[in-house]
Amino acid sequence: MPSSQAPSIAGSALDPSAVRPDIADAEIFRVAPAELRAKLLLLRAEGCSLLLDVGAVDYLGREPRYDVVYHLLALPAKPSSVAEIGVPRRVRVLAGVPAEAPMLPTVCDLWPSANWAEREIYDLFGISFEGHPDLRRIQMPEGWEGHPLRKDYPLRGPAREATPRPAFASKSNVPAGTPPAGKVAAALQKQIARARGQAPNGTEKT
Amino acid sequence: MSVTPEAVARATTLDVVEVKGNAMTLSMGPQHPSTHGVLQVVVEVSGEIVEKAEMEIGYLHTGIEKTAENLFWTQAGTVIERMDYLNPLGNELTYTLAVEKLLGVSDRIPERAQSIRVLVTELTRIASHCVWLGTGGIDLGAISTFFYTFDIREDILDLLEQSGGARMHPHYIRIGGVNGDVPAGFLGRLDALIAKFPQRMRELRALLQNNPILRDRMIDVGIVSPADALAWGLTGPSLRASGIAYDVRKAFPYSGYEKYAFDVPVRDDGDAYARFLVRLDEMEEAMRIVGQVRKELDTSGPIMIDDPKIAQPPKEAIALSMEALIHHFKIVSESFRVPPGDVYVATESPRGELAYYLVSNGNNRPYRVRTRPPSMYNLQALKHMVPGNLIADMVVMIGSLDPVFGEVDR
Repeated sequence: MPSSQAPSIAGSALDPSAVRPDIADAEIFRVAPAELRAKLLLLRAEGCSLLLDVGAVDYLGREPRYDVVYHLLALPAKPSSVAEIGVPRRVRVLAGVPAEAPMLPTVCDLWPSANWAEREIYDLFGISFEGHPDLRRIQMPEGWEGHPLRKDYPLRGPAREATPRPAFASKSNVPAGTPPAGKVAAALQKQIARARGQAPNGTEKT
Repeated sequence: MSVTPEAVARATTLDVVEVKGNAMTLSMGPQHPSTHGVLQVVVEVSGEIVEKAEMEIGYLHTGIEKTAENLFWTQAGTVIERMDYLNPLGNELTYTLAVEKLLGVSDRIPERAQSIRVLVTELTRIASHCVWLGTGGIDLGAISTFFYTFDIREDILDLLEQSGGARMHPHYIRIGGVNGDVPAGFLGRLDALIAKFPQRMRELRALLQNNPILRDRMIDVGIVSPADALAWGLTGPSLRASGIAYDVRKAFPYSGYEKYAFDVPVRDDGDAYARFLVRLDEMEEAMRIVGQVRKELDTSGPIMIDDPKIAQPPKEAIALSMEALIHHFKIVSESFRVPPGDVYVATESPRGELAYYLVSNGNNRPYRVRTRPPSMYNLQALKHMVPGNLIADMVVMIGSLDPVFGEVDR
């Protein structure tokens, strides 16, 4: 493997929000988990009415290990024209989450749109949200082991193969191994039996 | 019987999960034609009235974000365009703009490349709305609409095939520009499409807009107030049908959208009919932009950034120049490194604000690719819209939100 292809990810002390001041795509705030709700409440009071997205990043080897990223937009909550909206304020809030017992307070009560986004982070990163009304897996099947978007989740190899795959057992309509039932299945079975009973042309039936 | 996760998982389309007096819990989907893909809605109904709707998604989860993290910057676009399969070029464009911003080359993209990008994404927007209108028409019993809209869509897909080499996922927009100029004969066919489009739209409007059945099915169905629209994270046509004229192309112009004259259609009613009208108007506005871009394409110019570290050299140069061969080899075999940093870049997809939050750690693969999927947030609002309405109206509401499950589940 050429040196440039080696993933020099683990252990890097990366805080990407601080290294590129030239990319002025939003106002950026970094807060501690304890101050997160207060900061978001303040921003909401300042007019950031739309929570566009909640995402997460796993900086394996860094402490705090995860960043949960909130993207906000300030839009007037009433009918308004393009000129009234102008260039709305974009805000990005990053909260570091430790590797041990990763947990953040939910913002579902402030913006109902956060519901599925927080469930997705819980599902794919294993970060819990305290006070979430319905915290369960959303993309992966119930009973899946591990959190696929973590950097230490195996892509392939023995560890990946050892992960049980209940994907179709849990989300499909029929439990695995159930024989087909009903009139259609009976007719099908009959047809198969008939076909098996007929010998191909030119061969002796044994 | 009781509503356990196992009972929900076992349920097939229109299976009864639970009966309690007059109330009944039904499972609709994930293989129901009106759910526009693989959506399962578990509805508590009392007679025909839905009292509560809970959506189950994830049936189409393919781990695209994880896959993209393990591809080169140049390769990740191929899986990313497969998220929203009705808007592949919009996905490519958003990702490409984000990578270019991280590279710091946004202002060096040739003008002709930007024009072609706008052209193909606006054509894709029309094609996407054609699918929405066709399938939405089927939801409402107007089956012939499907054939009219897919006729327009075929013309557009033919054009995209001619320019990019594939109908659905051409990976035509590349980091630094576009993959090849528009071929000979493209502009003639584009002119023919521009010429016949107004007549096609008149036909569609005559067929649909004042159709009493469609009006009855859509007016006052699924009303979303402006405050609720923001609280539930609606964007795109669904937000603009609630009166808020937020369009990324106007608020944060990219790829030269500030040059083009176009209006942002807005309606105040917030119901399914308003969303329907906004999308119809958007198709015409998109064609207005296409007409303006068409005029810019008469003169020729470069279509790729002049930077051998980012752009693949032309085939002729590889045969003659050693440097070109080396650059070609390096880009193909190990891509390029992108300076560390994070960036959030949004564009206006046919469904709303589509954005990528990219993190680079200075390597030749993205460290994190987070999508802001407009369909997912729009669809989530269904939980708020449905209670108290007829089960048949829920079908109209799903259609009016225009979800694409490749993007919801990724």
